[in-house]
Amino acid sequence: MSNDHLLASPLHKLGKTGRAWLLATPGIVYFLIFFAVPLAGLFLISFDKPTAGVVEVQWMFRLDNFVRFFTRSLYYEAAIRSAGLAALVSAITLFLGYPLAYVIAKTLNPGRNTLLMILVLCAMQLDMVIRLFGLMVLMGDNGLINEFLRWTGFIGETPLPLMYNFFGVVVGLVQFSLPFMVLSLVGVIQGINPSLEEAARSLGARRWQTFWKITIPMSMPGILAGMLLVFAISFSSYVVPTLMGGWKVVVLPIHIYQQIAELGKWQFGATVAVVMFAISLLSMLVYQRAAAKASGGRA
Amino acid sequence: MATNPTPARRKRREAAVPLVIRSLAGLTLLILLAPMVIVILAGLNSGDHLSFPPEGLSFRWIIAFLNSDIFLPAYGFSLVVALITMVFSTILGTTISIFLVRTRFVGREFMRAFFMSPLMLPGIVLGLALYLFYISSGIGLIRTIPGLIVGHILVTCPYVIGTVSAALVGFDTSLEEAARSLGAGRLQTFRKITLPVIAPGIVAGSVFSFIVSFGQFDVSLFLTPPNSTPLPMALYISLRYTFEPTAAAAGIFAIFLVVVSMLITAKLTNLKRLANVNFS
Repeated sequence: MSNDHLLASPLHKLGKTGRAWLLATPGIVYFLIFFAVPLAGLFLISFDKPTAGVVEVQWMFRLDNFVRFFTRSLYYEAAIRSAGLAALVSAITLFLGYPLAYVIAKTLNPGRNTLLMILVLCAMQLDMVIRLFGLMVLMGDNGLINEFLRWTGFIGETPLPLMYNFFGVVVGLVQFSLPFMVLSLVGVIQGINPSLEEAARSLGARRWQTFWKITIPMSMPGILAGMLLVFAISFSSYVVPTLMGGWKVVVLPIHIYQQIAELGKWQFGATVAVVMFAISLLSMLVYQRAAAKASGGRA
Repeated sequence: MATNPTPARRKRREAAVPLVIRSLAGLTLLILLAPMVIVILAGLNSGDHLSFPPEGLSFRWIIAFLNSDIFLPAYGFSLVVALITMVFSTILGTTISIFLVRTRFVGREFMRAFFMSPLMLPGIVLGLALYLFYISSGIGLIRTIPGLIVGHILVTCPYVIGTVSAALVGFDTSLEEAARSLGAGRLQTFRKITLPVIAPGIVAGSVFSFIVSFGQFDVSLFLTPPNSTPLPMALYISLRYTFEPTAAAAGIFAIFLVVVSMLITAKLTNLKRLANVNFS
């Protein structure tokens, strides 16, 4: 390259590490300005004096907002509901996702393997609102399932309540987060040396014994990573609880939106956001603890 | 890894997956794909809404979408936002991954967690933080297109960092040193040696960031400009109030976009590698 020698001399002095720092400077600056600073601002505002309609920092810090959050059942129950919902969804997706991940990992035919991976990736990448359209057509009071049951005579005029309730939100969140679970597991299951399973079998273990005693424990890192990811994304979702819950299943993201967009209570909205942030962070710490324990147990 | 199993051996191993597991896997696949299939049927159905038993097929809602002054502009707007987002997050994400993989310093793990955290942070929290930042800093990004793209870049960058780092980790740097010692310039070495190796990671990362931005809802909630609605937002409004099949027709075009993107990714990269990408 003609201009390479011009750049070479000052860059050379920087050394390899220095050049990597230089290369990443735009990215680092971008994340500092548009990620670190806004989050710090969010924290600051969450401790500020609650004044409806005022967005600017008033520099009057107090704990009022957090006291309000943890003393009103409306809010702390929403936090418990959000976390419980996310934990339930991550258990269900593990149960449903593991078999598919296992099948994909054990499919050695490259064409079929790629096809399955493409199907899972498409399901993951498709806009959730579009997938919710499909789910709502399927599960609504006059949806396909209820119409089918009516047509066959299993139910009368009153529809099965599949949507606009807790059940609907769980189904929506499971559909939303399943692909993430499957993808977290496929790589780990593929990485298990097949000779381990064969050895267990040849030593007389039954197929199920091999599965429970070898395959499942060996895929623990993937199980934990998948459960954390599913917890985080179903805990964060705003669209699924609003559309599938019909505003009856109130989770933290709904409170944030209401406080900000409908009530103009900026400081308290920021407080709810900070609580969400803290719970996400906490779940990550729990995950790291569990992951360290899982890998330590095996070594 | 058994490199080349004979057909008989492969058959025996695949058959070894128990029936219970295979049927559960089938159920999961059904849950994953059913909504997509229903959207396609609803967009192609001839009645006023999709019912059981179905009425018949027609292009009436596809034509309605192509003439719609809500969904078609929303589709176009999301497409433009996703393309701009993709360019920026590919460049930023790739440089950040090279930095994260090639340097050794205390706190590098923390830096990686920092750059990956938009993925774990609730989208609505990130959107609110940016919204508050735009208002209090007065930098003129409140509910503007650039302000929206700034948020999209943050949530899509981790995908590029994840895929490019995975491609870089297995890369043998002695190849670069060899090229350099044979007289290749720094840029030449990058173009001829490094880039071809990490290209699949970059492609996968940029396709991911395109699609994630195209379908982004939570982050956009507080950042969307008043006169331009992204497609997910337009669909959300339709699902809450009117529920017209035109939305399903718009969905068909979005599904088409996703399937094509994934086929391109599958063609250019090894999808198995994607399963090994560490996104946390």
